[in-house]
Amino acid sequence: MMVGGMLVSRLAPLLACLGLLGIWQVGALTLNTESFPTALEALRAVPAILGDKESLINILASLRRMAIAFSVALVVAIPLGLMMGRNRFVASFFNPLLMITYPVPKAALMPIIMLWLGVGDIAKMLVIFLGVSLPVIYHSFQGAKAVEEKMLWSGAAMGLSAAQRMVWIVLPAALPEILTGCRTGIVLALITMVTSEMIARQSGAGNILFNSLDMGQYDIVYAMIIIIGALGIGLDAAFERLRRRLVRWSEPGFEIPLSFA
Amino acid sequence: MNVKAISTDVLLGIVPIALLVAVWQGISSFGYAPMTLLPPPGLVFMRLVQQLATDTFQQAIIATLFRLFAGFSIAVILGVGIGLAAAASPAVNAVVRPIVRVLAPLPKVALYPALLLLLGFGHESKIVLVAADALFPILLSTYYGASMVEQKLIWSAMAAGTPRHQILFKVVLPAAVPSILTGCRIGLVISCIVVFLAEMITSTEGLGHLLVTAARTFQAVDMFVPLITISLLGLTLNALLQALRSYLLRGFPEI
Repeated sequence: MMVGGMLVSRLAPLLACLGLLGIWQVGALTLNTESFPTALEALRAVPAILGDKESLINILASLRRMAIAFSVALVVAIPLGLMMGRNRFVASFFNPLLMITYPVPKAALMPIIMLWLGVGDIAKMLVIFLGVSLPVIYHSFQGAKAVEEKMLWSGAAMGLSAAQRMVWIVLPAALPEILTGCRTGIVLALITMVTSEMIARQSGAGNILFNSLDMGQYDIVYAMIIIIGALGIGLDAAFERLRRRLVRWSEPGFEIPLSFA
Repeated sequence: MNVKAISTDVLLGIVPIALLVAVWQGISSFGYAPMTLLPPPGLVFMRLVQQLATDTFQQAIIATLFRLFAGFSIAVILGVGIGLAAAASPAVNAVVRPIVRVLAPLPKVALYPALLLLLGFGHESKIVLVAADALFPILLSTYYGASMVEQKLIWSAMAAGTPRHQILFKVVLPAAVPSILTGCRIGLVISCIVVFLAEMITSTEGLGHLLVTAARTFQAVDMFVPLITISLLGLTLNALLQALRSYLLRGFPEI
């Protein structure tokens, strides 16, 4: 019984995927318009895109930009968030600035940044960096704020310096919350990646998507949607596995982080 | 926290914003960046005030706000409805949960081309995109809020003679309100971001469209104006939601 239940819960997302593709197929067949190909047609175009060398290079270039920007964002955002969580002055210094920048769509900065830095990799990576940083800072901040004072006092009593307390007590204690922020950040990075490439049409996955839309190659449009969607789901699942390994000791409060953007 | 501590916090918070504006002013007035790339802040804010009075700009704001609210309202209705249903019934939960797991991490912007092809370039495609993006935080927080309602509250209501079908609306929903409002707040920020992006991609009106038009004609001043406007809109809406929250939760202990 237990094994069966486990199996069903493992397979449930897969079944959901199949179900959604089925709805798509039926919907496309009933609507029967040229601009809405069936799921099967779109799926058939996927290997063609992945087999094409140029498209593959484009998609990999996108992923590389995303990976670099994401890593840089983590290196900057986690220490900043932790400091904000432990020090009230740092927190009140940065909080209002973060508050006014939060509702600004980061990809909308793209046209301005393009004026300064050109359409190259740096502009796109900067935009992704900005998009990822905010949720990571926010969650690190919340995580560090919730660290139990007693643990810090014990650490101090045993002779840890302030910096050591940060690394050995605050960081591990805030890790579950930080990883929640990173998970939100990964999806945001993907979104910002697609939109930045769509605004600066030069290379990348977003470029293929919107160029094929303009040229009316509808099967490629939908195939790219499937590829980008699969990237999102795959990266999220991979990250969830990593999270479970790193913080096995902490029960996740929520199965899916709330701050999904 | 006393009044003095709060005012120090406020002062500290203004410092980085003031610094940012000062550096911006410095860069442009010492000539490190030409006017066409980085107009001085005074010029941008003057332009903002001037634009706010014009008809076209007001219409752009109205178009953006209409899409934002339409999409956000759909997301709230669907999110709270599905979230409550999933929390109340295990059967619904078994169906909804895997679908949400698949759809929540999907980057919704990638769906926008499909929405354009299906719904056209008008309001509909943008509203649906906003709703799709804002739905999941609201749905998830409703679900978590409703499934964490204390069993004792439900038992007491039943003992006091509340019919079963009313418990959902009289006990579970009010108890889940703080969590739902948190979800709405996240959803609102996301709506601001998404509506702007959608208008940037293809639109004939709205703030995002203004930004793209300015970018195409290299009007740096006009590029900053819509950005500042959307930031101000986001802040205002957030403050309104916060006010609604403190009104709705006036009986709750501080959360």
